[in-house]
Amino acid sequence: MRLKPWLAAAALCALAGCAQIVKVEPGQVTVKDTLTLKADIAWNRFELQFPLSVAPGASEVWTQDGITLDALAFFVGVEQGKTLGTAIGGKKLPVFRSTMTPGEIVELYEQMVTQDGSAFALKRVAPGRFGGQPGFRFEHTITRKSDGVLLKGMAQGAVVKDKLYLVAFTAPAIYYYDRHLPQVEPLLASAQIK
Amino acid sequence: MRRRPFLLGCGCLAFAAAAGLRADEYDYPMPPRFTRPEAGSDEGGLWAFMDREEQRLKRSSFLIRDKALHDYVNDIACRLAGDHCPEMRVYLVRTPYFNASMAPNGMMQVWSGLLLRMQNEAQLAAVLGHEIGHYLQRHSVERLRDAKSRSSFAMIVGMALGVAGGGSLGALAQTGILMGGLAYGRDQEREADRIGVALMAKTGYAPAEAGRVWGQLLEEYEGAKAAGEDVASSNILFASHPPAEERREVLAAAAKRDWPGAARTGADEYRARLAQHRMGFLHDEVRRRRFGESLVLFERMLKSSPRDGQVQFFKGEVYRLRAREGDARLALDAYRNALGMDNTPPEVHRSLGTMLRQAGDSAEAMRAFQRYLELKPDAEDAELIRSYISGSQS
Repeated sequence: MRLKPWLAAAALCALAGCAQIVKVEPGQVTVKDTLTLKADIAWNRFELQFPLSVAPGASEVWTQDGITLDALAFFVGVEQGKTLGTAIGGKKLPVFRSTMTPGEIVELYEQMVTQDGSAFALKRVAPGRFGGQPGFRFEHTITRKSDGVLLKGMAQGAVVKDKLYLVAFTAPAIYYYDRHLPQVEPLLASAQIK
Repeated sequence: MRRRPFLLGCGCLAFAAAAGLRADEYDYPMPPRFTRPEAGSDEGGLWAFMDREEQRLKRSSFLIRDKALHDYVNDIACRLAGDHCPEMRVYLVRTPYFNASMAPNGMMQVWSGLLLRMQNEAQLAAVLGHEIGHYLQRHSVERLRDAKSRSSFAMIVGMALGVAGGGSLGALAQTGILMGGLAYGRDQEREADRIGVALMAKTGYAPAEAGRVWGQLLEEYEGAKAAGEDVASSNILFASHPPAEERREVLAAAAKRDWPGAARTGADEYRARLAQHRMGFLHDEVRRRRFGESLVLFERMLKSSPRDGQVQFFKGEVYRLRAREGDARLALDAYRNALGMDNTPPEVHRSLGTMLRQAGDSAEAMRAFQRYLELKPDAEDAELIRSYISGSQS
């Protein structure tokens, strides 16, 4: 029996680890109906989910140069009792509670990104505004288990109406983090939670 | 896969128990020094593969690059290996699971989860001695030559190399796959245990500690099972119902023999040498979210040093992170107990503040946060904690 062409393409795609990519045009963008942002430049948005350790189960993942080089992961409207991201490889993740302190939310993030054995180190966490609401911002590093690459990361978030909104940017500490951060900062500053 | 090299075939000493141990059972004449096999031979191929893995390991970000600790573990391994010491290279790896392995080319890996779990130098020597036993008997080469495992080995090496090209698996994972493909047989495990005990005794370590290593692992297993944790999927030891009990008993029986001059446990020295890394290892341990196992481990550590504020703090962290009904109270109790102990980290005040605030006791919570800032004014979360105190962050 001959393999159907679309099936072959899907299988090839799965083997190659690729995902469907959609261009995010500059301008007003809405993520999951509730988070709006103003993009100054175009981004690439991944349509398919994949067990990327910095963003498993994210609402959306955006990138400039490719997800292993820079990843902007959106976790939008995480509800009480749900996990931040999804568990991979049979691991268990803690659940979000709306009473959590920003410090505890950083721990949720840490547990999500270290599921694959990657190492997380918090560099700074401070109060801040996100989406027009009181929130928090943290900076961190992740030593990626798969290839030992040191990533730098920055995330901003807020808990609004008992739901967690978190956007995390990660990129290799060498070159890519500094290259893309100037585009990420104004993008996140433009965020509004409906 | 994780615990495979040391743990596979752990039921192997059952036969020895039934047969009884002969007096000369532990006389181990060491083989002469090994030389590098011919490049064209099967063993040469295995070495070449391992050399390549070793190169990766050397560059790994997960290597613990602490010369003092490395030299300490290396020295123990060296004394156990005697004349074979120059053939070995020891690597300490930050991975919070119980494991040590030794490749046929002399590359030995010791994981941080093992270092944390061993109560003293003699227990570490028991595990290292066992691995050196496999090495001295060249068990992995025997496995390679076994027709049945050869095909799976070829496939596994192929897989590992293929994956390496894709860059999606790290060096350690690949070595794990490879060692898994060369899983030792029961007789080999039995032999490695026997040699391990012989080397321990010869080096002056109390052989009784070898059996205790198994006893401790079994306790953690029971703890995980009682906590309803998925024991089958997490590691090989727990998955295959090996009679680890027998192994513990036989090693304990071996320890009852007369071992003149073999009494060293080295608990204080071991603890002192690991001190600098202990907080990090404990942090990694609780982040595994294997709370049942961790609690058993921490209770054991507290039993041997009841004033250990670091372990007491992390016991509280287990309850806080587990967050089941009733855990908030247990976490608060653990933190409060830790306050009066030795070497309690400043973070205990932060966790205490977090839990108190959730319990509605904001006055005491603020005092705890303030104390945290006094002790760690430059903490990475100082701004956030200050905002809790000033009330600008709810």
